[in-house]
Amino acid sequence: MSEEKNIIEKIIKPDTARGRVWQVFVLIIILTLGGLLIDGGSYYNKGVDWLSQKTNEVVQLPKTKEVGFSLGLDLQGGTHLVYEADVSQVPAGREDSAVEGVRDVIERRVNVFGVSEPEVRKVRTSEGGYRIVADLAGIKDVNKAIEMIGKTPLLEFKEEGEMKAELTPDEKEELDKQNQEAEKKAGEVLGKALSGGDFSVLEQEYDEEKDGEDEWLDDATITDYLINLEKGSVYGDLIETNESYLIVKLLDKRTKVNEFTNESSKEVKASHLLICHNESEGCESDLSKENARVKIEEIKNKATIDNFDSLVRENSDEPGASQTGGDLGWFNRESMVKPFSDTVFDNQEVGTISYIVETKFGYHLIYKQDEREVVEYKVFDIAINKKLESDYVDPQMEWKNTELTGKYLESSQISWGRTGSAQVGLQFDDKGAELFGEITERNIDKRVAIFLDGELVSAPNVNEKITGGQAVITGSFSVQEAKEMTQRLNQGALPVPIKLISQKTVGPSLGANSVKNSLEAGMIGLILIAIFMIIIYRYLGLLAVLSLSIYGVLVLAVFKILSITLTLAGLAGFILSIGMAVDANVLIFERLKEEIRKGKEMTSAINDSFKRAWPSIRDGNFSTIITCIILILFTTTLIRGFAITLAIGILVSLFSAIVITKNLILLLPKKWINKKIIGIK
Amino acid sequence: MTLNIIPKRKIWFTISIILSGLSIVYLMMWGLNFGIDFVGGSSLNVEFTNQSPSVTQVKEALSPLGLGSLEVQPSGDRDMILRFEEVDEATHHEILNKLNSIDYENYGELEELSFDSVGPSIGQTLKRKSFYAVFWVILAIIAYIAFTFRKVAQPIASWKYGITAVITLIHDCLIVLGVFSFLGHFYGMEVDSAFIAAILTVLGYSVNDTIVVFDRIRENLPKSEEDFAGTINTSVNQTIIRSINTSVTTMLILSTIVIWGGASVQGFALALLIGVFVGTYSSIFLASPLLVLWERKNNS
Repeated sequence: MSEEKNIIEKIIKPDTARGRVWQVFVLIIILTLGGLLIDGGSYYNKGVDWLSQKTNEVVQLPKTKEVGFSLGLDLQGGTHLVYEADVSQVPAGREDSAVEGVRDVIERRVNVFGVSEPEVRKVRTSEGGYRIVADLAGIKDVNKAIEMIGKTPLLEFKEEGEMKAELTPDEKEELDKQNQEAEKKAGEVLGKALSGGDFSVLEQEYDEEKDGEDEWLDDATITDYLINLEKGSVYGDLIETNESYLIVKLLDKRTKVNEFTNESSKEVKASHLLICHNESEGCESDLSKENARVKIEEIKNKATIDNFDSLVRENSDEPGASQTGGDLGWFNRESMVKPFSDTVFDNQEVGTISYIVETKFGYHLIYKQDEREVVEYKVFDIAINKKLESDYVDPQMEWKNTELTGKYLESSQISWGRTGSAQVGLQFDDKGAELFGEITERNIDKRVAIFLDGELVSAPNVNEKITGGQAVITGSFSVQEAKEMTQRLNQGALPVPIKLISQKTVGPSLGANSVKNSLEAGMIGLILIAIFMIIIYRYLGLLAVLSLSIYGVLVLAVFKILSITLTLAGLAGFILSIGMAVDANVLIFERLKEEIRKGKEMTSAINDSFKRAWPSIRDGNFSTIITCIILILFTTTLIRGFAITLAIGILVSLFSAIVITKNLILLLPKKWINKKIIGIK
Repeated sequence: MTLNIIPKRKIWFTISIILSGLSIVYLMMWGLNFGIDFVGGSSLNVEFTNQSPSVTQVKEALSPLGLGSLEVQPSGDRDMILRFEEVDEATHHEILNKLNSIDYENYGELEELSFDSVGPSIGQTLKRKSFYAVFWVILAIIAYIAFTFRKVAQPIASWKYGITAVITLIHDCLIVLGVFSFLGHFYGMEVDSAFIAAILTVLGYSVNDTIVVFDRIRENLPKSEEDFAGTINTSVNQTIIRSINTSVTTMLILSTIVIWGGASVQGFALALLIGVFVGTYSSIFLASPLLVLWERKNNS
């Protein structure tokens, strides 16, 4: 019966031992092809494109997902920063949350840099100290990053400076008159500039600011006028700012780039539809999360670009959406929550409606209308200053520092006001309570401002002297905002200074060089091994080289699938595991020669050699894997990278020697294998 | 052809004792040249577009900063490696500025290839972690060997195989450390955290090699007609080709890394290369003869 079976049937339902060998062989081929597809996804996809182009899009093969290797800091360049958190001043038991708070702040600061996958970790040392480790791969300006991370949260309380004196009616009239004159004068200068007057000469004569000409601006109050202006020409009208009238000549414009990543900054124009639910923030809807999901899916199914606007006006839960149509105007990546930005900046084409995006505000559908690069303008300007109110009254710092700072804050927590709104409660220590009492006493009916990192958080009105050291900041906070503020205030309150104790920075060119060097060394090494194996073991050596190549394909695919971060030490681990893989083959081949010398028949010699070599291969590799596990558990990041790749390499090498090499040997017709061909004299 | 390895064991013991002894003497005299990973400090690697300035020029330019223990080492025509105390970010910046201002016309733009600055506490952590890692590796290996050889009780107990393997690996590591102590003293070779990884791999490799020989002994013992020493000699002979072939392939690939792999992995690969060589030697010429020693002691 078997002669009626075709080859495919033979492979699926083998009825002989040889058939089963073929079956395993086909599985190996499939596995190898799968591995190749993962390793070389981009080449495959290019091939698919080329093929469909050549055949006038008749042949349309499916494409594969392209996965890149994730390269460590030492290979792609970047910096590894280790900070020590000084928790000596922190009350016992609060160290952990204090350091966690610091970590959160650093993470937020780091996110601004826009590097891919920044990693910020809190590390507990065995002596009980705390460290914070930040890995910023691919960052360009390390110094600036360090500077920004190192700012400690600073909490300050300030009181009002002297009240500004009102202008007298005479002064007011004078001010208006002067400003009219300024405008008139500016108008004249503009006339001269437009009618071809030399701009530099005019600038020398009239400019009251003398600020040079090499500043790049992206300030919308000025640049909005310049969008359609050609380089080298003068804007045809006066531009009025708070301080002056400007006559502006556009020198140059360029796309703004993010200084940390060297990528151009983008802006997107979009509108969105929001369905919120009872778990989302700032939502007045009673809809459960599940029902909100159902609702937005229904809307998504019927949404088109044409009806999007009306769907928004009817359905969106965003306050005011019925008037605005959910229009967000132009915005940049940082101004939206992350899932929203990720969708609209990375995953969506212009002129499409997005998939359903979930954020803390609920579910969104986004209609991306347009995208542009943010443009910066280099201008040459002549400023004619206006008279300001501050020119008539004493220039005065509006907020005056007080002695009260975060040092005296004991804790901060969320509390609830009478109307149910979230508030931020403050508790000072004794000295702080005393200071706060004094400050409130002298500021009754005035405001006291709370600054965090130099930024005004809140400036409540003081109604009476407050003793007892408790205060409440009221305002229109959402629960989330109040929570974040207490967290930040607690950071300010808990003096956890951080100190940079280690920095490892690798420039991008050194990284690229290292990749090149180690790849070259690896290739040369592989070729040498191949030659050596073929000389010593002839035919078997050739099979071993084939099996080792499959081994290489599979290991690289595993690296990609598990997204193992490859470092220099990791590459070394991989290269070493090739040595281990060769060892398994050598053990088997030596054994095979021995069995053949004993005069055994070929098939049983092959089977015996594998059986006998296995304990040695197993024990040797297991002891190395044990070493790897200990390295992974006990040591530093660098060594861990080495141990992980070595362990993966060893596991795959066991498979390659026991399954692949054996299969390839069994596959050979027996009459081909004779003593000479496998190198027995 | 059978090599008389076991009968000539006194020669091998003498070689091993001399090499280990020399290593201990080197380590006591010179210690290891620990890099900044261990002792703290900074290391700055820069490249100039045209060519690098002279060492004196660099030292002169940086002298106003009063850097402690400044060492300047040219590497190639355009690269330089500077080592100095641990500095803060501002000083780091200042150093780059000063370097860039040395006769800019002549030497060209400066590029910072890498900068490491390590506080002393990091080095403490590393030393402790490395110590624990080595300790646990040794313990785990004794346990593993004792377990896999548990059925082999005659003529010597299975844990003695474990101890012998550990003596062998300590011998291997000692010699690698000795060579690095020598290289550190005469050629400024530094020991960094990658070196620890290399030592730990040598541990694993050395055991791997030893186990292969022991495995063969385990297999041969029940059916052998020779005495213990004779059985071991046969087993070593049966595995010697494999040991040599394997270490030759591994050493081939390690040599390519030493030669072409670039400065950052050279030390690492060199440590492995020496370790693999010594590990192969000791699995043949030290571990198996030691087993015979155990047996002779039992009998006497």
